[in-house]
Amino acid sequence: MRILAVASNTFKETIRNRILVNILLFAVFLILLSLVVGEWSMGHQVKVIKDFGLSAMSLFGLLIAVFIGIRLMVQEMEQRTIYLILSKPIRRWEFVLGKYLGLAATLAVNVALMAAALWAVGLIQEGRVDLSLIPAILLIYLEILLIVAFALLFSTITSPTLAAVFTLCVYVIGHTTAFIREFITVHPDKGAHWLLRIIYLVMPNLENLNLKAAAVEHAALPPHAAAFGGLYGLGYIAFVLTLTVLIFENKDLK
Amino acid sequence: MTDSVIFTEDLTKIYQGELGQKPTVGVEGLHLDVRPGEVFAFLGPNGAGKTSTLKLLTRLLMPTRGRALIFGEPVSDNRTMRRVGFVPEQPNLYGYLTAAEMLDFIAKIFGLPASVRKKRISDTLDRVGLAASGGLAVRTFSRGMMQRLGMAQALINDPDLLILDEPMSALDPIGRKDFRDLILDLKNRGKTLFFSSHILSDAELVADRCGILNRGRLVQTGILGDLLESQTGSIEIAFIPAGGRPSAEDLARFSFSEQGGNRVVRVTRPEDVTAVVAAVQAHGGRLVSVSPQRKSLEDVFMAEIGR
Ligand SMILES: Nc1ncnc2c1ncn2[C@@H]1O[C@H](COP(=O)(O)OP(=O)(O)OP(=O)(O)O)[C@@H](O)[C@H]1O
Ligand SMILES: [Mg+2]
Repeated sequence: MRILAVASNTFKETIRNRILVNILLFAVFLILLSLVVGEWSMGHQVKVIKDFGLSAMSLFGLLIAVFIGIRLMVQEMEQRTIYLILSKPIRRWEFVLGKYLGLAATLAVNVALMAAALWAVGLIQEGRVDLSLIPAILLIYLEILLIVAFALLFSTITSPTLAAVFTLCVYVIGHTTAFIREFITVHPDKGAHWLLRIIYLVMPNLENLNLKAAAVEHAALPPHAAAFGGLYGLGYIAFVLTLTVLIFENKDLK
Repeated sequence: MTDSVIFTEDLTKIYQGELGQKPTVGVEGLHLDVRPGEVFAFLGPNGAGKTSTLKLLTRLLMPTRGRALIFGEPVSDNRTMRRVGFVPEQPNLYGYLTAAEMLDFIAKIFGLPASVRKKRISDTLDRVGLAASGGLAVRTFSRGMMQRLGMAQALINDPDLLILDEPMSALDPIGRKDFRDLILDLKNRGKTLFFSSHILSDAELVADRCGILNRGRLVQTGILGDLLESQTGSIEIAFIPAGGRPSAEDLARFSFSEQGGNRVVRVTRPEDVTAVVAAVQAHGGRLVSVSPQRKSLEDVFMAEIGR
């Protein structure tokens, strides 16, 4: 009930967020632009459009995390609304979870709109709606949620600017863990070896949530890849949120 | 202690500064015992530690030491806050909601069912003088309106204890009068009030007891009447001297002032009163008034703070 109240309130707040609407329009624009880009790529139009569209959605998630996810709690502190809310009989974890779920609902609406744009483009090009993109889109949504969870975590422990930088790092590293792993195996004796190993162990492997290529190619997915990606994403989100709550639980609201 | 509304024991908050900064004392070794039905004014100059204390009581800050109980329960317990209303310093509410939506949100946090909420919200808005503004976006509220809405959200759960951080600071004279009436109304209904304030004249009008805080330490606490009477006040004598002449030399040891055509002298000893009155009459002057001066809370405050 309390979590729901905070969540629905946060949904109301974020759904009218101007930055978010702008980023969304930008993403939809990119997806529509893929029609033009597709023209240039002889023979591969459809694939290029889908690939381009799905990548735009993923990028959208990163921007949202940096612009909205970090502001989510910071704004409550800066505007002092949090003093009022947290003096009420609501537990801090309920508040954090409510805020997160509210934003997650807003993001679900946004991802659905982008997916609709992508399918509209597909309809123009192919004359059909390619529903096989659904698993890839769901995992993109999970990736966005995970990045937002990281943004939330960083924003509770450091300044907004640093939090943005860290979030960006997680995104970049998360998509390159395969290279890090390769580097570790090829150069096991390099000085920063242990550091890389820690990064490799702690950072999420966002490629687990990336079914874009397979979806676009209509390639046979490795069995249960989508299910594995889904569980991996949810587990990681739970882990990051738990960490955030633990830190926030005893934080002084000065 | 068992029936205390607010009870603190050695309550202490030391702010650990950022790297390289020295820690600062917010409040230190605070012992408080606020009784049921009491209106308690928590006074002190800027930076004395009032807000720090109120944030400890509402669990926004974690104490460095000591403990705080409300209705005998630790403030960290979620249930304790159900019977409490709190208005932070310069309250701010969600600008994108209307006043009524904001109150509905707070009421939901208290778990009030929908059937109760609607009526409670309109009643509460009415009580703080915002009946006509329920549909306005909070973003458009003036500072005084925000202070009133802050009060409304604190009343939404019909609390038994109200904790208010400088509730009058943004209010105009009418607002302050409304606020005093509201406080007295709440007191009559058996509620306990604990508020910090800089406006001593208003505190004096509503409080039963006060505590004075200075540099994080409680330097004085007591029943307001006792504090005000503890030092003998002065007596003010006003008169119109005959023919505008200054009084005779037997009054030379007093210093006079002019007030709207009257000559005024302030004395502290009863025998001086007799002397002044006799001298005025002996010279054919006309006595206007002899009035004992009650010590004001401001006098007590200044004496305690040591200025
Ligand atoms: N977040 C903080 N970090 C460090 N020191 C702080 C912090 N907040 C308050 N202080 C210090 O604690 C002391 C008490 O501050 P507090 O805000 O409790 O005073 P106050 O009595 O409410 O003052 P005012 O009347 O100005 O509102 C001050 O010395 C202040 O500098
Ligand atoms: Mg203060």
